Amino acid sequence: MAQRKKKRTQISIRVLQAIIILLGLVILGRLFQLQILDYKTYEPLSRQNALRQQNVNPARGLIYDRHGKLMVDNKPIYSITIMPASYDSTKTPLLAELLNVPVKEVRNKIEEARSYSRYRTSRLFTEIDFKTFSMIQENIWQLPGIGHQIESKRDYPIDSLQASHVFGYLREVSKEEYLQQKNYHLGDKIGKTGLEKTYEPQLKGEYGTEYVLVNAMGQNLGSYQDGAIDEAPVKGADLRTTIDADLQLLAEDLMDGKRGAVVAMNPQTGGILSMVSAPQYDIRRLSGRIDGDYWKNINTDPENPLFNRASSSKQPPGSTFKPLMGLMGLEMDLITPRKTIYNPGYYSRGRRYNDLADPGQYNIGKALQESSNTFFFWLMDKMVHTYSIDRWYELASTFGLGQPTGIDLPNETAGILPDSTYLNDVLGEGTWGIGDQLSLGIGQGFMAASPLQMATVASQIANGGYAVKPHLVHSIAQSNGTVNLVNPDTIKISWIGQQEIETVKAGMRRVVTTGSGRYYADLDSVKVAGKTGTAQNPHGEDHGWFICFAPLDNPQIAVAVLIENGGYGSQSASPIASLLVERYLTGKIDRPYVYERVKEFKYQTEDS
Amino acid sequence: MNISEYNWSLTTLWVGLVTVGLIAIYSATQGPVAQFLPSYIQVNFYKQLISFGIALFLLVALQYVPPRTFQEGSYVFYIVGLLLMVLTLLVGREVNGAKSWLALGSFNLQTSELMKIATILAVANYLTSRRDISAENLKTALITVALILVPTLLVFLQNDSGTAIVFLSLIPVVLFWSGLPYGISLFIISPAVIGYMSIIGWYWGLIAAILLTLLVFILQRSTWLTFTSFATGLLLVIGVQVALFQILQPHQRARIEAFTNPSFDPQGAGWNVIQAKTAIGSGGLYGKGYMEGTQTQLRFLPEQWTDFIFCVIGEEFGFIGAGLVILLLLGFTLTLLRTAFNHRHPFAQLVIVSVATIFFIHFFINVGSATALIPVIGVPLPFISYGGSALLTNTLMLGICLNLDFHKRQFSIYR
Repeated sequence: MAQRKKKRTQISIRVLQAIIILLGLVILGRLFQLQILDYKTYEPLSRQNALRQQNVNPARGLIYDRHGKLMVDNKPIYSITIMPASYDSTKTPLLAELLNVPVKEVRNKIEEARSYSRYRTSRLFTEIDFKTFSMIQENIWQLPGIGHQIESKRDYPIDSLQASHVFGYLREVSKEEYLQQKNYHLGDKIGKTGLEKTYEPQLKGEYGTEYVLVNAMGQNLGSYQDGAIDEAPVKGADLRTTIDADLQLLAEDLMDGKRGAVVAMNPQTGGILSMVSAPQYDIRRLSGRIDGDYWKNINTDPENPLFNRASSSKQPPGSTFKPLMGLMGLEMDLITPRKTIYNPGYYSRGRRYNDLADPGQYNIGKALQESSNTFFFWLMDKMVHTYSIDRWYELASTFGLGQPTGIDLPNETAGILPDSTYLNDVLGEGTWGIGDQLSLGIGQGFMAASPLQMATVASQIANGGYAVKPHLVHSIAQSNGTVNLVNPDTIKISWIGQQEIETVKAGMRRVVTTGSGRYYADLDSVKVAGKTGTAQNPHGEDHGWFICFAPLDNPQIAVAVLIENGGYGSQSASPIASLLVERYLTGKIDRPYVYERVKEFKYQTEDS
Repeated sequence: MNISEYNWSLTTLWVGLVTVGLIAIYSATQGPVAQFLPSYIQVNFYKQLISFGIALFLLVALQYVPPRTFQEGSYVFYIVGLLLMVLTLLVGREVNGAKSWLALGSFNLQTSELMKIATILAVANYLTSRRDISAENLKTALITVALILVPTLLVFLQNDSGTAIVFLSLIPVVLFWSGLPYGISLFIISPAVIGYMSIIGWYWGLIAAILLTLLVFILQRSTWLTFTSFATGLLLVIGVQVALFQILQPHQRARIEAFTNPSFDPQGAGWNVIQAKTAIGSGGLYGKGYMEGTQTQLRFLPEQWTDFIFCVIGEEFGFIGAGLVILLLLGFTLTLLRTAFNHRHPFAQLVIVSVATIFFIHFFINVGSATALIPVIGVPLPFISYGGSALLTNTLMLGICLNLDFHKRQFSIYR
């Protein structure tokens, strides 16, 4: 009995030993499987666990004026984010204390984020100041689910300089843009208008990649291998524009409270010196997070401040078209500098077309000076009868009318320069006649041009007949130091002769010295040549135009001004243009009374 | 007392295990990870070092205790142990959801740890002190099982399921010992195996039921028992399926299934398993280097100084280091069993075998959990995991075995 018992005990121990050895081998086998066979699975897992790959946004390129003055800069915005699923709501009082915000507000914000998505990161507080931001960062380990984000917004260092329509604003990429373009991540900003849009590919730069160590709480523990495998972002290219910041400031000041546009251009190159569309929106209020109320406001404002009138509005150029008419008449040999016609005070062709100019003998010079409609009706009549409207179209279009100028801004208008096809389309074949064409001779009727196009016309007359391509960017400086010049060629407009140009310039000079421009556009210091215009407006008060260039012999600046519903161009538009010319060429304004007049300009109300 | 008869090899292995533990605890609490740990955890290494000193003293002191004390006092220890456990249930401290700690001044005692050795002694005494030990006596078996189930129940009430499993694992060993026929012993423990396999899949449950029935038949050659065994197994498989798919809500079922396959639920309890597996797997052959494991040092591992300490070793010392620790654990257990084998007295044998079993169950559950071989059950790795109370009570168990071995000549006399 005892022997059997003893034997059984010893067998039991042997069995137990066998089981233990077997299980020990199972564990060793499992270790072999995990550490040797599946090493390739787990090694990257542990690395991913501890390493987080982060995109580093590149700094957006800066924008400078022609003298190198910084106009558009970047500024960091600090935001606090939340991932509601991993947030511990007992930490709300701590979070509120750090943010210095009432607990209730924090709770509401968290609730809002939670209702948006429990598992996606949302911004909790944005544009918080740096001090609060660093406080949160220091305590982030106590705040599971709370993260931070540094973004950047555009900053405009020159006080009160807006240039809203030149620079344009940025917005977060839409879903479509995000899906279309590989280089964008959700939440990125993209230029929507202005230079920001046109030069988006250059300004944007390239993403960098940063590897940071994180722990299980998602806490950032600094860079991996001291950043050895990080890739630095490539900063966006800087734009050196042709804008003259001082002139731009003055132009914005002068256009304040008005509806219209100013374009000042270097007539030799086509470089835009200043461009204002009034009213403009406050570019600073669109640079950070969306200010919903403001955004709604400017979108519903009947004056449409988001619309760039300088490059996109179409208005009949009125009498500012007459210098070009003169050039074309000379080219077609319908007139000579000395040819005169008699103006009885009206032009009669089927009906009477009134003329505000006094009756008398008119040559091209006097016709420009007095802005005689009769002379140009007669000239237009001759043109369409001797040649055709298509010949007129052909010559006028070489000055850039009826087509986009090709400026580096989005949404530019082509304007309207009618030819026979156009009139056929609009009025029906064979139904249009001389009446429809005569008004084109004085820049009325179907034709329409933007202030930018009219500034281009003025420039091309000023520079002696060279076609310029208007542009805002002079050069693009890549972050690696290479600078690409944007220097569009100027091409001689083939039909323009020296004598024809001199004749028209002399006429435009007479406008300023003795004609309608003499009140506000004539300067003692500089010889200015120009042409006023008043575009008839069937919907209300007429639009005032003025185009000019100076100095007469060696033009450095050409300006086009349009004041919507401003009445006579000589009264509304010419003082603004001449102040810009004076300031640009002399560096100062010697005529405070003209400045005062512009600033005190008031729209006439309906009942006055 | 002849010092040359002292079991030096076992003692050396014990020192080896505690040293491995100290090295791993240092990395897990004093390494770069320390910056994410509260200060009361950072001092764990030093507390463990002090416990080691006390344990060493305890081990030496135990050798001077007359060996008969353990047998004669076993029932007293058992009753006192039970009373302490009840006291713990009433006034104990709760740590990690388990109310199993009794505060004695500044020292916290886990009474269930103490109860393990008390139960072992009581069971061993009960089974070996009776002259007419009847091999087929079912009553003996039932009383033995009851001796184990009473403390097990108390541990369950303390909400410490890991320790409860360790207690339950004693049942097959002592049943085996009690002289109950092998077949019947197998029949008694088979439901646990079949039930677990059925959760994984009904076919696994069925295969387990068939194999176990076959084994019962081979061992016992009793048609009645074989039939009962198969019927029970079948009922269990069906019962588990009905419970899983008819009674339990889908989310409850998912939780039970996650128990057998932790990769089902990566963000829940399974998250720990994935992090543990990742830590060990990414250690590779040589490991990432001492105090350089990213999983350990960046705090991806839960409870890395106690239940998941093996992951620290696996990650930082690789297959070589972890394998050596496994060999050390195996060597320790097998040496204990060998000590039992060489002993003549059944009481001492049973005590030593039971202690060895309990240690091994701890080893297997702990390392098995860390390597995702079995569902995660929170038990510490004896002598390696941080914990003063556990180190002292485990050393107490080992010290009693060493005492019984050291004084084995005294047993031979009155045998």
